[in-house]
Amino acid sequence: MSAGTATHCPYCALQCAMTLSPAGPVAAAPGAGSPAAEPTTPGTASAAAAPLEVAGREFPTNRGGLCRKGWTSASLLGHAGRITEPLLKGSDGVHQPVSWDQALMLVAAAVKDSWDRHGHDSVGVFGSGGLTNEKAYQLGKFARLALRTSRIDYNGRFCMSSAAAAGNRAFGVDRGLPFPVEDLDTASVILLLGSNVGETMPPFVQHLQGARDAGGLIVVDPRRSATAAFTGNGGGLHLQPLPGTDLALILGISHVVVHEGLADAAYLENRTNGHKSVMRSLAAFWPERVQSITGVPATLIREAARRLAKAARLAKDEGRGGCYILGGRGVEQHVDGTDTATAAINLALLLGLPGSERSGYGTLTGQGNGQGGREHGQKSDQLPGYRKITDPAARKHMAKVWSVDESLIPGAGLPAVELLKSLGKPDGVRCLFVHGANVAVSAPDAGAVIEGLRSLDFLVVCDFFMSETAAEADLVLPVAQWAEEEGTMTNLEGRVIRRRRALTPPPGVRSELWLMARLAELLDAPSTFSDDPRTVFEELRRASEGGLADYSGIDYDMLDAGEAAYWPYPAGSKGTPRLFTDSFAHADGRAAMVAVVPSRRAQRTFASAAEPESLALATGRLLEHYQSGAQTRRVSELASSQPEARLQLHPETAARRGIADGELVSVSNERGDLRVRAEVSTAIRPDTVFLPFHFPGAGSANRLTEAATDPISGMPEFKTSRVWVTPLSAHRKEES
Amino acid sequence: MSERIVVVGFGPVAARLVEGLLPAVRRGSVSLMVLGQEAEAAYNRVMVAELGVGRSTAEALAMADAAELIAEGVDVRLGVTVKRVDRARQRVVLSDGSTEAYERLVFATGARPVIPNLTGINPDPARPVLPAGVTALRTLGDAETLRRSVTARQRVVVLGGGVLGLETALAAAEEGATVTVVHSGPHPMGRNIDRGGGAVLAAALRAAGVTVVSNAVSTAVEHNGPDGAFSALVLDDGARVEGDLLLLSCGVRPRIELAEGCGLPVASGILVDHRLRTHHEPHMFAIGDCAEVRCATAGCPDCKGATAPSGLVGPGWRQAEWLAGYLETLAEDGQEAANGLAPLAKEQAGVVVLKARGINLAVAGDTSAEPWDELLCPAPDGLPHREVAQWADPGHGRYVKMTTRGGVLEGLVSVGMPRTAAELVVLFERGAELPADRSLLLRLDGTDQPSGAANNDPARTVCRCAGVSGAVIEESVVSGCSSVPEVSKATRAGTGCGGCHEDIKAIIEKHFQGAVAA
Repeated sequence: MSAGTATHCPYCALQCAMTLSPAGPVAAAPGAGSPAAEPTTPGTASAAAAPLEVAGREFPTNRGGLCRKGWTSASLLGHAGRITEPLLKGSDGVHQPVSWDQALMLVAAAVKDSWDRHGHDSVGVFGSGGLTNEKAYQLGKFARLALRTSRIDYNGRFCMSSAAAAGNRAFGVDRGLPFPVEDLDTASVILLLGSNVGETMPPFVQHLQGARDAGGLIVVDPRRSATAAFTGNGGGLHLQPLPGTDLALILGISHVVVHEGLADAAYLENRTNGHKSVMRSLAAFWPERVQSITGVPATLIREAARRLAKAARLAKDEGRGGCYILGGRGVEQHVDGTDTATAAINLALLLGLPGSERSGYGTLTGQGNGQGGREHGQKSDQLPGYRKITDPAARKHMAKVWSVDESLIPGAGLPAVELLKSLGKPDGVRCLFVHGANVAVSAPDAGAVIEGLRSLDFLVVCDFFMSETAAEADLVLPVAQWAEEEGTMTNLEGRVIRRRRALTPPPGVRSELWLMARLAELLDAPSTFSDDPRTVFEELRRASEGGLADYSGIDYDMLDAGEAAYWPYPAGSKGTPRLFTDSFAHADGRAAMVAVVPSRRAQRTFASAAEPESLALATGRLLEHYQSGAQTRRVSELASSQPEARLQLHPETAARRGIADGELVSVSNERGDLRVRAEVSTAIRPDTVFLPFHFPGAGSANRLTEAATDPISGMPEFKTSRVWVTPLSAHRKEES
Repeated sequence: MSERIVVVGFGPVAARLVEGLLPAVRRGSVSLMVLGQEAEAAYNRVMVAELGVGRSTAEALAMADAAELIAEGVDVRLGVTVKRVDRARQRVVLSDGSTEAYERLVFATGARPVIPNLTGINPDPARPVLPAGVTALRTLGDAETLRRSVTARQRVVVLGGGVLGLETALAAAEEGATVTVVHSGPHPMGRNIDRGGGAVLAAALRAAGVTVVSNAVSTAVEHNGPDGAFSALVLDDGARVEGDLLLLSCGVRPRIELAEGCGLPVASGILVDHRLRTHHEPHMFAIGDCAEVRCATAGCPDCKGATAPSGLVGPGWRQAEWLAGYLETLAEDGQEAANGLAPLAKEQAGVVVLKARGINLAVAGDTSAEPWDELLCPAPDGLPHREVAQWADPGHGRYVKMTTRGGVLEGLVSVGMPRTAAELVVLFERGAELPADRSLLLRLDGTDQPSGAANNDPARTVCRCAGVSGAVIEESVVSGCSSVPEVSKATRAGTGCGGCHEDIKAIIEKHFQGAVAA
């Protein structure tokens, strides 16, 4: 028992606690096969068996539970496809091993060359919500001080930016869940907006049990998702709006709250600004009108509003139950995602939830360090501590911590989608660093992104596998995996937790901190760059001090002693498990309510008179895979369960097009044309189809999504692309 | 140089126009004046019945705040009436005798209730003085009158079987009033709904406690109540419908006299083209209930058929949004740029969704055709066939009719089937093709809708989180596991969301029962 290392899962933001122990002689769990055979390329490891055994560990978030991804996570450590030496692409397009010295010289030369020819901003960095706090922090510093560029952003722009923008606008601060996740256990009503936790973070579902038992789980999802199915058998309500109409639905529920006198007037008066104009804006969204926009019956809209209000009231008056509203990517990944998240917050404020005992509002962060990753300077407009890069005081503070002249800190750069659009363009990024991201699969309009990657002068990708993005790289640098590194992560609750090393990385593999430190040296960067996680964290503490996300009171020893540390945690305090109990983070302590209405732009047309055969494509995730699938597609147990992208479509939609279950179909639009297998299901509306985005090539859903973004957050639209679906057999007939 | 725009009227449609023009006002390119006859800024008239039965508040109905608009630089005048428009001098003359200049004038004067010609009611249509105990339902004051009756649980007689009348009748009955609906024709909503739907609706009204008097022709109003207030409605057959309050719900008529008085062409409403410009005066506009979109071009396909104002707020709001864009462009980029804007899209036939808690009803388009009409009388060559599908179950208060051409809805009726109604309305508005199997739509309200997990579960997978099949769990039970924790330890099943614990238990119990039986 004592041999185990206490750490957390490498994947999602729930960060399930697990124990890693050396694998015994009979380690294989039931159903686990041998790792997928990959063609062995030079410079990859030959070890095959998982060197560690995974066990669930008691922790408030997962209570010892793990999902399939967590159980099988160790199989990637000794995976045959692991990259263990720097790989340089030759003129023949084949990657060949080079020494680290050679690799570092090449990178430094490429950066300097780009500077000389195109200026500092021709070098770009694309980071990740999967990096530890230490790496995310140091990457921001590395970009600005060593690479001297403003062009840094990260893949969190694809998931959390709209929720973050809405949270900042309303509350003055953005912490995904401003309360510990166990608080949900006693709730009698939980409204889940566009979140499929049943697939994306299964152990989280334990925290919905109380609401399900009380019949109060309300799920908003156009699909009958695994999570929506939990509302069956008396578990609650499933509201199925048309894709892209979530905002109107939330306004309809809010309208009922206001008109039926269910709003918490005292709370609105004492704790918010702007509620009168929000109430006026809701007058136009009576349930029957909203029914015509969303397809959700007016009776269900009223029912949802009344249940929410009843639970909120009960929690306040009698101290029983509780009422929570939780947002997910389903309502946020839209061109009006920030406004939709704002509408959800307005509803929560009308009901008096945020900051109240037994109630609240939160957004469910997706990526492993999606929370910490959005706080410490990876964002194009941000400095550590969730500070604004345009704020003179913030710049002054950081210049002091970094011991550099303030003028050396560049201004705001470009958000992810704009950054990727600029690749290879004149005045765009010509030399790109990618850390922990697989944009060739995960970015919208992935086909155009791949073109962009190919037009670069130099592409460096840090990864442990030959991901689709790494395959495009001039230079691939092998870095350590989660079980091989020390650091901290900040989970979906804003709780800072320790990631611990259970294994020494293979000989040719380096940490990203080491890499940044060496390159900073070669580029004559000012300030200091440590390769020791603890040292970097100590610097991060000072950098975040006084910021919104203040970590200054947190240290490794405290975390190792088991303290539950929630930010803001200023030095000398005890941290903040629950935010907003007394005030919000705006100067006047009040929450800001902003009236929002659906925009014309957000209302796409599909299956309409003008385009009768078109369908709405929503993208999303499967239980078995994580993000771009670069890791989980290499786990044989997961890959054999979900080996390829399958298009979910309604039997009527299939029959009309002569498509049989399991048949190959073409899914196309002006951006791309995919070949995937059909999966006929009544869980989806006849005018909508669903594709998971974990797969590359002809099954890559993001080749169909559009790089259209929310004007406030820069978040792309992933949920309502217009597509056409035809059976492949029809194509063959045409061709013959 | 800012352009002077005067808006006559401050109802919900004018409010939307003002909201749309605010950015231009802030930039200083537009100087905006709004003239409202009522003492209150715009409020949501659609919800007045809700207010009248005590289910909402005047505050919640508000759609604009005069003080905020004034702070933004809009000149808001409440409680003023425009006496006339001086087209030659481009000025409006107000009730207080003052005049205001305009460069652009927008009529948003709305509509007024139709007052039926009954003995005992002053017939002057422009200035009806209604006797005590008789009211229409359009303003906050009307709502207050109704509210007093409902609160006192009085007898309310609703004259008119249209949407507003029925909504009010149902809500008032639910809140404790004794309600009678008196209407012409064989069933309520005679203008919108077919016979089958009307019959099911009437039955539903009765079941909700509303007395329905059909085929009624009312002739007079009796005033034998306290202080000469209303006491009964008299029908042409001599019957008397007694009550304490008579609510007139006989439709509305566009308020056009101001436009007509200054010589602008009118029909039912103020005539405007597809850019909402009055005929012959391109700097004057009309939107909302007072506007009738019918251009001066002979043979314009969009103007074929009925174009009288619909009385629905949706088209008015779309007009207001469009006009705000047009006026903004006009003020900031000039006439040529404004001409470049696409004209307002043609309105589709309106959808009526009854705002009621007890009854679910949606109706749209032409609902008169019967399923077998086309069989007897085939469509002319070249036109796709009209098809009518129908489901009638009056015993359970359910009725659906789908009239389609080329699979696309031309008309629909849905009573007592909320999900079907919601879906049909969405399909109608989008002009989308219906599923070939029309019964799919009827089944949306069925009790057999999926309550468990989606059918994409791999067969026999019990624990989805860990991907463990029933067979593996059974195997572990056979090898000695006798509790959920033991099964979890051996197989990982039940270690994720915990949703399958009951299923694992069932497998264990089944195994041991079998053992006992054997």
